[in-house]
Amino acid sequence: MEVIVRAAALLGAGVCMGIGALGPGIGQGYVAGKACEGIARSSENSALLTRTMLLGQAVAESTGIYSLVIALLLIFATG
Amino acid sequence: MNKKTFLRMLVGFIIVQAILSIWIDYTLEVGVEEEQGRFVIRNVENPMTIQERITEEFQPDEYRIEKGKPLTIYGSERLYRFFGFFSRNPNKAIYAFQLIRMIIIVDILLLVIAYLTRKKMSMIPTKLQLVFEMMYTFFEDLTRETLGKDKLHFTSYVLTIFLFIWTCNIIGIVPFPGFVEANSNINAPFGMGIMAVLVVHYMSIKHKGFFKYLKGYTEPFFPLAPINFVGEFSKGISISFRLFGNVLGGAIILLVISSLVRFIILPVGLNMFFGLFIGTLQAFVFTMLAMSYIAVEIFD
Repeated sequence: MEVIVRAAALLGAGVCMGIGALGPGIGQGYVAGKACEGIARSSENSALLTRTMLLGQAVAESTGIYSLVIALLLIFATG
Repeated sequence: MNKKTFLRMLVGFIIVQAILSIWIDYTLEVGVEEEQGRFVIRNVENPMTIQERITEEFQPDEYRIEKGKPLTIYGSERLYRFFGFFSRNPNKAIYAFQLIRMIIIVDILLLVIAYLTRKKMSMIPTKLQLVFEMMYTFFEDLTRETLGKDKLHFTSYVLTIFLFIWTCNIIGIVPFPGFVEANSNINAPFGMGIMAVLVVHYMSIKHKGFFKYLKGYTEPFFPLAPINFVGEFSKGISISFRLFGNVLGGAIILLVISSLVRFIILPVGLNMFFGLFIGTLQAFVFTMLAMSYIAVEIFD
């Protein structure tokens, strides 16, 4: 029985990381593309745009980080 | 002893330690000896496999309890007795010793750098002074843009947060045995998150007045008050878990890949990415978010 629980936890960790990385990936790529457009339109604001882009990406990344934490919990705190 | 000799000795010591740490796999253990409950500092052989090391990276305090007696002890061990303070339950080590050690190292480092910088200030700045003046000017501009002209005294708080987190993050790339990033333990980022939230609420009360601050919780209408309350405190959880997850993820990836390639060449580049780039970026993000939370409360 414990083997099944362990295997399910590992599988769940993999699925959690895989699905959890989808959203932040799409969001961060979208933000970077928009920032590229903005820099191309007005290149004098590039420092501000880059800073805002990095900040927005870091905020968008947080759900991925939560899934990482949950995956680590599943691997190390189960079984 | 002049500065050049000291720097040469330091670099030589670091190189010797780095070379030694390839063959001799020892770790510096600072903690409580399990049997007699004495405080101990010693070099022990590392009897752990890679899986156990990852587990220790993830839960250092809980793991230290289960770890058995070390196989070999190098050098002399120093034992201290603290009047039975630690020996109340000899089977439990005091928590988070690794974290406290790294935080103390970072604090001493920052104090020494501050002393060296402030020792001789001049109109024509020396190199060290120039670096910190540039950093201060950058964060002063940032504070002026984000919080407004009359909140310039927040620069010291913001720069302190940034310097502390940044040093905590990049100290993991120093190749001493036993050096970890302090932020890879949840307690350090969580403490700083709590501090940031406290500053936000203090500024909110100071700016709006206490009753308007309380009224802010029932913002659209009254039944939403619990949700607003939880939302306020999830700010701190959000920023601290972001920092923790990034640093810990980098540390685990580094550990796994380093053991795959037997610590040759590749970890240096990975250290550059995870230690320097991600460390700097996350420290900056934490600072910017703490500042944005304050700005949201100040500007209606």
